[in-house]
Amino acid sequence: MASVSGADVKHVVVACEAGMGSSVMVAKMLAKQLKAQGVSVTHSPVNQLADTQHEVVLVHRSLAANAKNAVPNSPVIAFDMFLGDLRIAQLVNEIKEGSVISDD
Amino acid sequence: MANFIPAGDGGHTGWRAAVQKLGGNLAGMVIPNIGAFIAWGLLTALFIPTGWLPNEQLSSMVGPMIINLLPILIGYTGGRLVHGQRGAVIGAVATVGVIVGADIPMFLGAMIIGPLAAWILKKIDAVLDPVTPPGFEMLIGNFSLGIAGLLMAILGYLGIGPTVNALSDVLGRGVQALIDTGLLPLASILVEPAKILFLNNAINHGVLAPIGVVQAEEMGKSIMFMLETNPGPGLGILVAFWLAGNTALRGSAPGAIIIHFLGGIHEIYFPYVLLRPVLVLAAIAGGATGVATFLVTGVGLVATPSPGSIFAYLAVTPPGNHFGVLLGILLSATVSFLVAWTILKASKAGDDDLEAAKAKSAAMKTGGAQ
Repeated sequence: MASVSGADVKHVVVACEAGMGSSVMVAKMLAKQLKAQGVSVTHSPVNQLADTQHEVVLVHRSLAANAKNAVPNSPVIAFDMFLGDLRIAQLVNEIKEGSVISDD
Repeated sequence: MANFIPAGDGGHTGWRAAVQKLGGNLAGMVIPNIGAFIAWGLLTALFIPTGWLPNEQLSSMVGPMIINLLPILIGYTGGRLVHGQRGAVIGAVATVGVIVGADIPMFLGAMIIGPLAAWILKKIDAVLDPVTPPGFEMLIGNFSLGIAGLLMAILGYLGIGPTVNALSDVLGRGVQALIDTGLLPLASILVEPAKILFLNNAINHGVLAPIGVVQAEEMGKSIMFMLETNPGPGLGILVAFWLAGNTALRGSAPGAIIIHFLGGIHEIYFPYVLLRPVLVLAAIAGGATGVATFLVTGVGLVATPSPGSIFAYLAVTPPGNHFGVLLGILLSATVSFLVAWTILKASKAGDDDLEAAKAKSAAMKTGGAQ
């Protein structure tokens, strides 16, 4: 259980297995949506998350447990769909509105 | 059916997270080097005697690349994952031992000894660092790596190389038996569900591609590269969702089709199947159809098509194999579409489809990351 205020989020990292395929795609789409907020969105292999600068981690649900192991103190947001995911849309809103982002 | 829903829900990480972690490490060693694999694959497709532009001189690069360069890159990257640049260097040195100690491309050996050598060096550094006098860091650092690297290369040459060689022999013979008896399409029963559980990279780069590389080196092509990477089954499922899925998923299906089939990011269709796990039957039927077609037409690829895009497929298809390859992809897409469409249509009665999907999705969410 980790949380952060959306207003404090300046770096989001999207993780996938190798950090070169699906995470890059999701990161690019998210970066566009968060451009106005000045939030940088990067991508990483899930087992190297500890080396990244981030306030929030975004990862597909199948890797959520691995991500949480890698960075136990960061909010790890899990999504289900690579396109049109409701949780990702919610995350964008939480960052825009500065509300609490939690991985409960 | 519940076992098709990804672990990570409900807090139990279990075997799947463990396998996936291993798979992630394997993928982490191979995927950053795929560009080199492609260079080798194109070189092979173009210049070997059965290639597009046979050329004896240029084709002499094919052997050294597959035997030496690619395993060393894997060992280097594997070492780097464990212990940074020093790990990378010792991983590369040790990999040379397994390469020379075996007579086949040593992908598996490199995946073992690269990280192992780096891990040992990490332990050595942890001991030596605190006791190194100022000014002697470089001397001790270089010689500890050099000596440990030498010993690991010898261990690789005498121990790991021959062991992996024997293991690969057994695996290769098993696969050949499956091919000879025509049972290879049954592999889809394992491969397709594993893909849906995001074990795609572990299976392809960890298991299938190393076997395929040995075959490709001997015969100029291999069907092993096509078991996991065929974009046909996923395409059929996505088209079925587009035409017969519930309204919410229908909207995103065309975009997903482009990203999957042209871009080669197969991960994009896994969640669609997870929302309705019985659709894994469509993936299995499509996958098996594809493998059977590839088998009957006797086709193979020269290298692993990564990502599994139709463009990557065409690039690593050797001359004369295009018909069988395209037919296999087309038939697998057709079969998986028909099965998926039937399942979606049948389950649409009453149109509680969307609600069910939402409920399941919500259930997965509430159980989410612990």
